[in-house]
Amino acid sequence: MIRHAALGLLLIGAATRSVAAQALPEVRLEAGAARLRQPGLGARGGEEASDAALFGIFWRLPTERWTLYTSGNLTYARDSLAAAQGVAALSLPWGRRSNFRTDLGVAGAVFSLSGAGDGGNTNGFARQHYVLENGGAWGGATAATTLRGTRWNAASAFDLGGWSRFGFLYGSLSLSRLYATDALLFETAGLLLENESGPFEFQDAQLVLQLRGGPHDITASLTRRQTIAGAEFSQNALYGSATLQLTDRVALIGGAGRQLADPVRGLPQADIITASLRVSLGPKPLPVMQRSTIADATVEPLAGGGGGELVVRVFSAEWLEVEVAGDFSEWRPVPMEREGSYWVARIRLRSGKYHIGVRTNQGPWRAPRNLARVRDDFGGESGLIVVP
Amino acid sequence: MNMHRRVPTLVALVLASVSAAPLLAQGTSVLPIADVKTRSAVQREIARAESKGLPTQPLVAKAMEGVTKQATGEQIRDAVSSLAKRLEQARALLAPSPSAAEVASGADALRAGVPAPMVKKIRAAWPADQSVVMPLDVMTELVARGIPASRALERLTSLMAKGATPSQIAALGSSVQSDVAAGLAPDAALEVRARGVMSLLNSPAAGASLAPTGQRPPR
Repeated sequence: MIRHAALGLLLIGAATRSVAAQALPEVRLEAGAARLRQPGLGARGGEEASDAALFGIFWRLPTERWTLYTSGNLTYARDSLAAAQGVAALSLPWGRRSNFRTDLGVAGAVFSLSGAGDGGNTNGFARQHYVLENGGAWGGATAATTLRGTRWNAASAFDLGGWSRFGFLYGSLSLSRLYATDALLFETAGLLLENESGPFEFQDAQLVLQLRGGPHDITASLTRRQTIAGAEFSQNALYGSATLQLTDRVALIGGAGRQLADPVRGLPQADIITASLRVSLGPKPLPVMQRSTIADATVEPLAGGGGGELVVRVFSAEWLEVEVAGDFSEWRPVPMEREGSYWVARIRLRSGKYHIGVRTNQGPWRAPRNLARVRDDFGGESGLIVVP
Repeated sequence: MNMHRRVPTLVALVLASVSAAPLLAQGTSVLPIADVKTRSAVQREIARAESKGLPTQPLVAKAMEGVTKQATGEQIRDAVSSLAKRLEQARALLAPSPSAAEVASGADALRAGVPAPMVKKIRAAWPADQSVVMPLDVMTELVARGIPASRALERLTSLMAKGATPSQIAALGSSVQSDVAAGLAPDAALEVRARGVMSLLNSPAAGASLAPTGQRPPR
């Protein structure tokens, strides 16, 4: 469930950058440890926790017309749970300038859950998005079947949601209606059911808030579940997580909170504390610490008139690779030189107008902050400067 | 005497051909675009522009920008094709005989959001025998800073009518940039700086020194 939530956020994140000008193939490996507690299990009704090891792989393959997301996860919790899970999702924009995008995906899992049986799960989902620059909405449906022991359980879910961005803050609110027959799954959560064959009907409301600063983020998710048929209970669950990008390739991820039983994916309710390391592979690493990069560009007039010296200064860490490019270099990246705490480029230019971009560690090209900005036809921007 | 004149001319021609050579090569055969389909489409667009007498260097630069920014093939093709259309539109707006640099500046102005009729007005407000590149570039920068195009045009054409030189027009853009960096709103900075240049133009001393280069030729 954690991984599915993460995939959902990744897809939303991808939508906000739907222009995909800087989208690159990416492979991420993740390994970590977790402490799990399932409320209906254990010698003292959930007081017994078990340790778990987590391994995950995520692969994104963008093309001009679609993006493929695949991920696989292996979880092993001593004495209680072992699961292998795979997800493949295809994100299909309706056109380069269209606001509509369709996500289609399938997922499968095999598991051995203490108290909830051995078995497997398969599900398919379709989700339609309407994406604007700073917000969007979606509606989707998921159908699933879960084999637990010798019993097949059906489940389905319909969800509607919207998201918005306010500066560094992203928020989403969604409503889901779930139908399920998997009684054992809810019993392991210590919930009282009216009968053992179902069907059970629930309604979930979920609020997700995420603070993003460059590649770092802090996410909080609050879920409220209410029964509609087959049982009488309501639950609240809060889960928080954070990603700290340590280097251009390595990130530390931590999370803690409660995940409610997920009948669509066959996953039981659990209280979780987890920490993992994520390593990004592939041709280009993620841009790192964009907020620490502050670029300025000025022109010093040359003696005698006509033209000037363009001075670009970037306040950034010494260990980063910093480049400048523009019309003056026919957009060939020019490495900058270290001067004190700054990366600096000094370029003599004739009188005229120039477009300029600066990037760190092969990341996205940015306009120096003090220049006029123009759209660059590739989903990004360039700084504009006129040399007298 | 004639020999002396020919030698610098020959040197200039040789230098011009040397400096143009990499550009021509780039435009026709060595665009570093990995995707064959995209490279062919961009080369076709450049050849088409050349056959229409449009400047091709901006198209090469745009393709290079796309390559550097790791844009998709489709984005590069679209960007080059859109720019070719803007170049054609700019040439028509700056008629009768704009230079390659003027056409490129006009196309950039259109991309930045300067309305087409205003590009035409800038051309009309500037002496016909002088390059309109700098006024167009400053207009582009002002509009890109968020100054309403109508206000930027009004200020620029007032300065032009009073005989401002290209360097004074350019200085207006730089001054606005400095003021904005210092925290002034872009349109307030334009007001202040335009008045500053205007007062200079109105003074008899400045008028005398500016007249030969900046005043409109008699009609």
